[in-house]
Amino acid sequence: MATRRSRATWLGAAGLAAVTLLAAGCSGGSGKAAATGASTQTSGVTITVALPTDPPPQAALDAFKAATGITVNWSSSDWDSLQTKISAAATANTYFADVTNVDWSRVGQLGKLGWFLPLETYLDGNGLKADMPQLASFTLDGHIVGVPYDASYMVTTVNTDLFAKAGISTMPTTIDEYTNDLKTIKAKGVVANPLNIPFAAAEGLSTYWYETTQAFGGTVLDAKGKPQFTDPSSAGYKAAEWMVNAVKDGLVPPGNINVNDSQGEQTLMAQGQAASTFSDYSGLINSLYNVTDSSTVAGKVQYLETPGVSGTALNLSNPDGMGIPKQAKYPAAAAKFIDWFVSAQTQADFSGLNGQDKVWGSSFIPSRLSVVQQLSQADKLADGERLAKMLKTASPVFPDGAPTWYPTFSNAVYTNLHAAATGSMSVADAIKAIADVANQQSSNS
Amino acid sequence: MRDVVAEPDRVDRSGSAARPQRRRLDVLPYVLVAPVAIFIIGLAIVPALFTIIESFFTVNELDPPTRFSGLSNFVELFHNHAVTNSAANTAFYVVVGVALSTVLGIAMAVLLQRPFRGRGLVIAILILPWALPGVVEGILWSGIFDPNAGLINNLIATLHFGAGNGVLLGQNRLLTVGLIELVQVWQMTPLSTLLIFAALQLIPEELYEAATVDGANGWRRFLSITLPLARPGIAVAMVQALIATLNIFDQPYVLNGAASTGSSVTMETYFVSFQNLNFGQGYALSLVVALVTVALSLLVVRFIYRRVEL
Repeated sequence: MATRRSRATWLGAAGLAAVTLLAAGCSGGSGKAAATGASTQTSGVTITVALPTDPPPQAALDAFKAATGITVNWSSSDWDSLQTKISAAATANTYFADVTNVDWSRVGQLGKLGWFLPLETYLDGNGLKADMPQLASFTLDGHIVGVPYDASYMVTTVNTDLFAKAGISTMPTTIDEYTNDLKTIKAKGVVANPLNIPFAAAEGLSTYWYETTQAFGGTVLDAKGKPQFTDPSSAGYKAAEWMVNAVKDGLVPPGNINVNDSQGEQTLMAQGQAASTFSDYSGLINSLYNVTDSSTVAGKVQYLETPGVSGTALNLSNPDGMGIPKQAKYPAAAAKFIDWFVSAQTQADFSGLNGQDKVWGSSFIPSRLSVVQQLSQADKLADGERLAKMLKTASPVFPDGAPTWYPTFSNAVYTNLHAAATGSMSVADAIKAIADVANQQSSNS
Repeated sequence: MRDVVAEPDRVDRSGSAARPQRRRLDVLPYVLVAPVAIFIIGLAIVPALFTIIESFFTVNELDPPTRFSGLSNFVELFHNHAVTNSAANTAFYVVVGVALSTVLGIAMAVLLQRPFRGRGLVIAILILPWALPGVVEGILWSGIFDPNAGLINNLIATLHFGAGNGVLLGQNRLLTVGLIELVQVWQMTPLSTLLIFAALQLIPEELYEAATVDGANGWRRFLSITLPLARPGIAVAMVQALIATLNIFDQPYVLNGAASTGSSVTMETYFVSFQNLNFGQGYALSLVVALVTVALSLLVVRFIYRRVEL
């Protein structure tokens, strides 16, 4: 039986544990201090890499470990959950990962919040910039918040077989030609609804509108965050109108009001039910449309230089990047990992230039222009020449960086455009609602 | 708090009366309870207090520093159209979800009340929807509701009831909320059934036999015996359904995205907190949801729950 003394010891221990737990619970809320005790060690350490993608081949990570002494613990998570984890960890000032996702759309927010370490202190920013056109999307006030590892950008894809069945042999170069071609395909009954626009209230719809706005020759917001789409003659307004009219005219399947981008690609484009996606993801021909297990249109889809008002338009860059959270335990080791991951050699390996065993399934398009050109020359990228050409001119949605309030703005974009597509509000009202949010947020900031 | 134990006065060996000893504090029960208490305090009480306090502050990562703002978070929320719209949707989820899952739960529990061959297997199968995560159910049902290639539209086309390209979700608000809630009811009903079923198992068979002898038919026995004596189970089932429907997130988010036709209050809490990084308003909205949950649960307990002694 326990003595009084030992009981007192137990009680003390329990009390201490309770106080510790309470202190831990209370400390997370408002701490803003940078992580303390981060190690500069770059060998013999294990870093956690949290990205919304599957890991690269284990052999590649093993080779990295052999060269640097850094073990990589890869943590995969879906994009939305990862953004929540990043916010929660940074707000609570707790460690979460050494390397994680930096999405272009959150660069403004993340840059202002100071949640990520400036990478120019660890990496050769100028060297990267020369070979990575999309690095600009990850730079804010001269600080590199993240480095793109996948040069995703928006492109137009067309099913040439369906176009040919409608008697169209010359691909459109303007938005009017493009629209007329789609109407011809529908009128001739080749497919009932030839255009894929993912109208589900999700980020993909916002991206589609940005790309279409760019095709109509305009921008969404100015450098101060003020809306540039309220005038009916503006590109953004016309883009919204064009998209909603496409639903009304039956060019878009009615069910697409609840279809997100990946569903549209998989169930419509890949199954030959849609003839074109105006704002599609670069690299999908390789990773989806030409994969016979999941596609019935292998060899029939090609990229199309984005049809604009009076000729081809610029493409919208939509890259995925990685950065180092301020609470990282091993920032120096994390920087070494990023340097290795985006190096020309690794990107070439991941994209299949040096053998299939080194291919990283998730690497659609290398972020280095030089590697894309090598791929194209080696004929290892479907429609590679056209892709490489478009990558050179891919430009960000917000040339001056995404505003800090971008998530609020995007939410307004996709919920209101979705509502306009369902017919529950007019395009004018949707545009007004989106503009109100932009005006309010830009004034507040 | 001191726990005192009365002890008889002692007599020492010399036979003289001993001085009464102080009653001893027995710490062992406290030590044994401490781990659980610490977890409850650390993971429930402290965050709850933190939420209550911070809901009266401006806690916005993009608008530092944290500062007292009184009721402004609550006022702004009630002027936020997205929040009021999602509150209306959530009210519909609650009414339909609680009513439907309770009625179906009672019906299924009554069907399972009498032993029959394979009842264990039926119960095991019944639990499956409840065991599935909400996101998985959302994905599963999105395949059923899909307007382009969904099961329902395929059936409609196959049976020549229509073209089979009807838009089920996203276009009509009432239909959208109804179908989303149907998915949640599909998930919740097994638990409601089991809770009510457990209550039914405690009803002595003799009561039914006596009622039968008195000439009561099946419906009369159900109204006079089953329903009154199952009220504790029904109340618990209703409270769990209430909590689930008030906090619905996975199903509308997966099935209908962020669209206003199906968004719930919990979804708005997520958007306000983790998209806009306005944690003060997020705390305020969470607090409102928690208070509504407690208030409605108390109402259910007050009007449905009855202590049953058999």
